[in-house]
Amino acid sequence: MIHKDLIIIGGGPSGLSAAKTALESGISVLILERSNHLGGQLVKQTHKFFGSKEQYAKTRGYDIAQKLLLDLKHFENLTIKTESTVVGLYSDNVVTVLSADKYERYQAKAIIVAAGASEKFLAFENNDLPGIYGAGAIQTLMNLYGVLPGKEAVMVGSGNIGLIVSYQLIQAGVKVKAIIEASSKIGGYKVHASKIARLGIPILTSTTIKKAIGETKLESIEIVLLDENWKEIEGTSKNIKVDTLCISVGLTPMHQLISMIGAEMKFVSELGGFVPIINEHHQTSINSVFICGDAIGIEEASSAMMEGYLTGLYVSKYLKHEHPEYEKETIKYEKQLSMLRDGPFGSKTKVGLQKLKEGNLHVES
Amino acid sequence: MRIDKHPILEFPKKNEVFFMFEGEQVSGYEGDTIASALHALDVKILSYSIKEHRPRGFYCAIGNCASCKMIVNGIPNVKTCITPLTTGMVVERQKNKGVIK
Repeated sequence: MIHKDLIIIGGGPSGLSAAKTALESGISVLILERSNHLGGQLVKQTHKFFGSKEQYAKTRGYDIAQKLLLDLKHFENLTIKTESTVVGLYSDNVVTVLSADKYERYQAKAIIVAAGASEKFLAFENNDLPGIYGAGAIQTLMNLYGVLPGKEAVMVGSGNIGLIVSYQLIQAGVKVKAIIEASSKIGGYKVHASKIARLGIPILTSTTIKKAIGETKLESIEIVLLDENWKEIEGTSKNIKVDTLCISVGLTPMHQLISMIGAEMKFVSELGGFVPIINEHHQTSINSVFICGDAIGIEEASSAMMEGYLTGLYVSKYLKHEHPEYEKETIKYEKQLSMLRDGPFGSKTKVGLQKLKEGNLHVES
Repeated sequence: MRIDKHPILEFPKKNEVFFMFEGEQVSGYEGDTIASALHALDVKILSYSIKEHRPRGFYCAIGNCASCKMIVNGIPNVKTCITPLTTGMVVERQKNKGVIK
């Protein structure tokens, strides 16, 4: 078994940021990443980020990934393993890993779970037909591999991901016929929605998908209008011919590993699903296990990075190997994070974190 | 179908990678995953559901959902959306839970 001070599960924006502040503190770090690249979902994000300079504003996602990696380049205390899937996490801080068909074991004094999130799915007839994808999957296929999902698409969901990926579909040469949204309001930022509107793509609110139609792959979809009680309005069904349907109905934290270790969990809808109860230092009920990024609540990559930097700092203190500029750096990133959450979409996270703090274990709607 | 022109990204031509799909020789490019190479060839059905034998393609493309599982070099349940394509791979559609030979 190989021993390290800190194991970080996940090499996305949050995990890489945590590695930076932990390494600056002089502790040894192992990053375990399932895919063959680092940077998580940043590598497929071609849009420019918002926020301030510290939050990498005006920089495209894939360039931010490069910056985060460059920050780690000179640390000798860092080991990175890609194509290494964590399959187990145990209370004695043992992490079991499947890497190139080999089963390996690692142990650390502290663990940071930065496992990210997975895309939610939607229930409708024939939702398993080939040609129906998560919006993130479409982004991966196009922006990472240069492959088109199809010729004509409809997007389900008008949150920021739905809007941005619709725009990226158009950039890649796919015809987007409509964005449909079950709510009566568009979910994402106005600036993204306006971009879509200027291209003449209809955003159909109070509309949902009823079924997908096709024999062996998607050929068309049936959409229907919803009333104010989310009930279908009869006689409003319409068919749209498409070979691609993108589902963008939100993300949910990857809670499996943290559930497995027996940390106290809670369902908080504002944070996207099941999350562990944490203290103000991102520490779970299992003292040596910390968590950051989308795994502790769905937010944007900017917030995930700030949380990562902070969690690396908190771990340095926990391991009694405090970062040389602990106070200064902690105040800096806490301020950044609170600025991000003061934005128009931050209130949801704040409510969610408050609910998490209250710690009552009953399931909430 | 591959993207040939893009306002932000560049996709320079890479070396062709030959592999077998359902007994036929086909090709993708270096840097492809098995699923992206098949998708570029307009192959959207990657497996069939175990009970109802419904056709399945990939959903998440990042190794979460297992909707892309196929038999690769005789090994079942390989997540083809995160498995890099290599020369000479033998790829087949999976129709059951997976049998280890």
